[in-house]
Amino acid sequence: MASIEFRNISKTFPGVKALDNISFKAESGKVYAFLGENGAGKSTLLKIMNGDYQPTSGEMFINGEKKSFSTPKEAIAEGISVIYQERQVVKEMTVAENVFLGSWTKGKLGLVDFAEMNAKTAEIISSLHMNIEPDRKVSTLSIAEQQLVEIIKAIVRDSNIIAFDEPTASLSDDEIDNLFEIIKSLQKQNKIIFYVSHRMNEIRKIAEKVIIFKDGKLVDLVDTDNVTDDQLISLMVGRPLGKIFEELDRNDKIGETIIKVENLTTSYVNNISFEGRRGEILGFAGLVGAGRTEIMKAIFGLDRVKEGKIWIDGKEYIPRSPAYAIENGIALVPEDRKDQGILPNISVRGNISISVLKKKLLTKIKFIDEDAEKEIAAKSIKALNIRTPDDEKLISQLSGGNQQKTILGRWLETEPEILILDEPTKGIDVGAKSDFYKLICDCAKKGILVILISSELSEIIGLCDRVMVVREGQISKELDRSELSEETILKYAMVTK
Amino acid sequence: MDKNGNGILARLKKSEMADRLSLIIALIILVIFFSVQNRHYFTTQNLINILVTCSLMGFIAIGETYLIIANQIDLSAGSVAAFSGVLVAVLVGMGVNPLLALLITVIVGGLIGALNATGINFLNLQPFIATLASMQIIRGFAYILCDGKAVPISNIDFINLGSKPIIGRITFPVILLLLAFIVLGVILKKTYFGRSIYVLGGNPYAARLAGLNPKAVIYKLHILSGIMAALAGALLAARMNSGQPSACDGLEFDGVTAAVLGGCAFTGGVGTILGTFIGMLVLQSFNTGLIMLNVQIFWQNVAQGALLVVALAFDFYRKKAAAKKLETKTA
Repeated sequence: MASIEFRNISKTFPGVKALDNISFKAESGKVYAFLGENGAGKSTLLKIMNGDYQPTSGEMFINGEKKSFSTPKEAIAEGISVIYQERQVVKEMTVAENVFLGSWTKGKLGLVDFAEMNAKTAEIISSLHMNIEPDRKVSTLSIAEQQLVEIIKAIVRDSNIIAFDEPTASLSDDEIDNLFEIIKSLQKQNKIIFYVSHRMNEIRKIAEKVIIFKDGKLVDLVDTDNVTDDQLISLMVGRPLGKIFEELDRNDKIGETIIKVENLTTSYVNNISFEGRRGEILGFAGLVGAGRTEIMKAIFGLDRVKEGKIWIDGKEYIPRSPAYAIENGIALVPEDRKDQGILPNISVRGNISISVLKKKLLTKIKFIDEDAEKEIAAKSIKALNIRTPDDEKLISQLSGGNQQKTILGRWLETEPEILILDEPTKGIDVGAKSDFYKLICDCAKKGILVILISSELSEIIGLCDRVMVVREGQISKELDRSELSEETILKYAMVTK
Repeated sequence: MDKNGNGILARLKKSEMADRLSLIIALIILVIFFSVQNRHYFTTQNLINILVTCSLMGFIAIGETYLIIANQIDLSAGSVAAFSGVLVAVLVGMGVNPLLALLITVIVGGLIGALNATGINFLNLQPFIATLASMQIIRGFAYILCDGKAVPISNIDFINLGSKPIIGRITFPVILLLLAFIVLGVILKKTYFGRSIYVLGGNPYAARLAGLNPKAVIYKLHILSGIMAALAGALLAARMNSGQPSACDGLEFDGVTAAVLGGCAFTGGVGTILGTFIGMLVLQSFNTGLIMLNVQIFWQNVAQGALLVVALAFDFYRKKAAAKKLETKTA
């Protein structure tokens, strides 16, 4: 009987303990579901298992033997395959080429033996009762079929341990049933299977055991049949809210409506309607990929609006471009700080001033007024407590929290009426987070409508006056502050009727 | 120099000077080396000659510097220069006033740049591909315009524009080039447009989120590059007394080389006009020196390539050392 055992695995990143003393043993022929909020440590554990990360401390045993992997290649050689949400396929190659990627069968003269490769692939495909031609280009396959290519790859490598990281996120119901058939047949072949998902009903259908993660710790390992959905959810979240939130100086004077959105529809979201008021903190909760970011992109002029109307201050507003959104008092701190937020090769000063350079900082002969620019930067650095030796430091050399504060400073300089924060505290340390919460409350007190997207439910509950729960591109529920609890939000974010 | 550090030298930031230091040292070494080898090298006349030769590549280098900082490139610059030389020769030959002919040529150059930008902005072409195509097309039109034969220029006013000394022995193209370096250097450093070029090259998506209009910036950049190439080509024609469709072959690469020597990074977001100016001087002093030492033309090519590799390798190790120093400091 094959087995994999984790003993006291911990993983620390600068400022974050991603995994804290994880120990459990998994045996062959069983499906283990990983359940936990975003950032609870599920993916980090998978990455340690497949050699992507190395644990800070702790040990891993496969079939009783101690193993440590410094690269994914070593993990693959030991029979471990992780099938990620984003499929790792080479689109311009055929199914068979992808399946044998990197270890193409060689024939005479050391040339790649395509016939042999195609034949072997066809054999596995038929054993899975599937119907894909091995010589088709992967780019012509559906997403579900591309995922199958990954599974076939795992079989060809003779993997004994196969992990699925949210495999059903973009599959249809039929495709999910199909995938479950395959997982069951792998289970019969005595493989160890890990299955990461947010979807309760799937976990019930496929997994014998559920491992619950919270804040990098393993909370419990339970038999699926012995727990209810409610019990699972409370195991997943049931922590008291931090004191931080109780101490915040909240705004209690919420003003009139500033933005009204009606039936907003784009390629990614449907029929979104909501209102936001001055001085309010309005939360958008939901799973990653539910469409929260896409709603904001539409409002900020980044995604094309197909249908629906938006009013700002009672006047109709048509989102043309980010520049136009800024003119109308909207500011957006984007989700991906590194790729969308910072201007990496520019100083902290330049990063703050960029949004107001044209409006506030040009002299009569259209030169940048460097003294005024320095003043603005100094003001932001002080007000937001940005830790930097001076304003000429490149922003890319600051820590994540300070980068994020710099970007917030950039936007506060535009004196926005609507401030959209998309996962503002993602990947920043606890100290910077609590600074950020104070700043958010200060903004609300100034009469700014703060729209907060966050996957950290404690943040949403601790900060927001109202919350829109988004599920599969639609608003599934509006909750008032008095109704907020992690259980309720998760219920509307996850459960499909 | 005043206490606030507002003097011109102080305003050239210390780091900027340090960045250029290796290049300035290289320039000094080159000049000393060639002066020792050939006593005619370090003479006023030869130094002016170097600047005169620079006036061709220099304009192109300015355009390419702006583009490379914004993560763009213009491969058509040499072709545009050749086309402009022929065009201005034809116009002058038709009896158009020389200054008017120059103006028309420069406008046409700008229009070609606008076409390049249109391909990039609206056909979603990579800058490399868009300008590779126009490089061929414009070169073709240069030959078509003159039926493949060089167009002689006899208008003395126009010829004077190219070669008559104005201040001392310094000619109009040299003055114009120096002026262009100063004006465009200041624009790059001091204006909103200049800043937006760096922002665009660093992270175009973030630039858009910050309220910039990347497409408008791309238009301006390619129009500028077209204008610079047209100026270079037209002034070359004036200097040579003829517009030649085969001229300026590969000139864009000389411009890019000067920019890269001067510290422009192909990943975008980094570079200065001062750096490019020094880069241009290094490249041209080197080329002129090789010619004066009677180095065989084929070996000149080899030497030029080697110069680029050596300069960049040096820069790479210097930056790596600087990064290491920074790491130990923050750790």
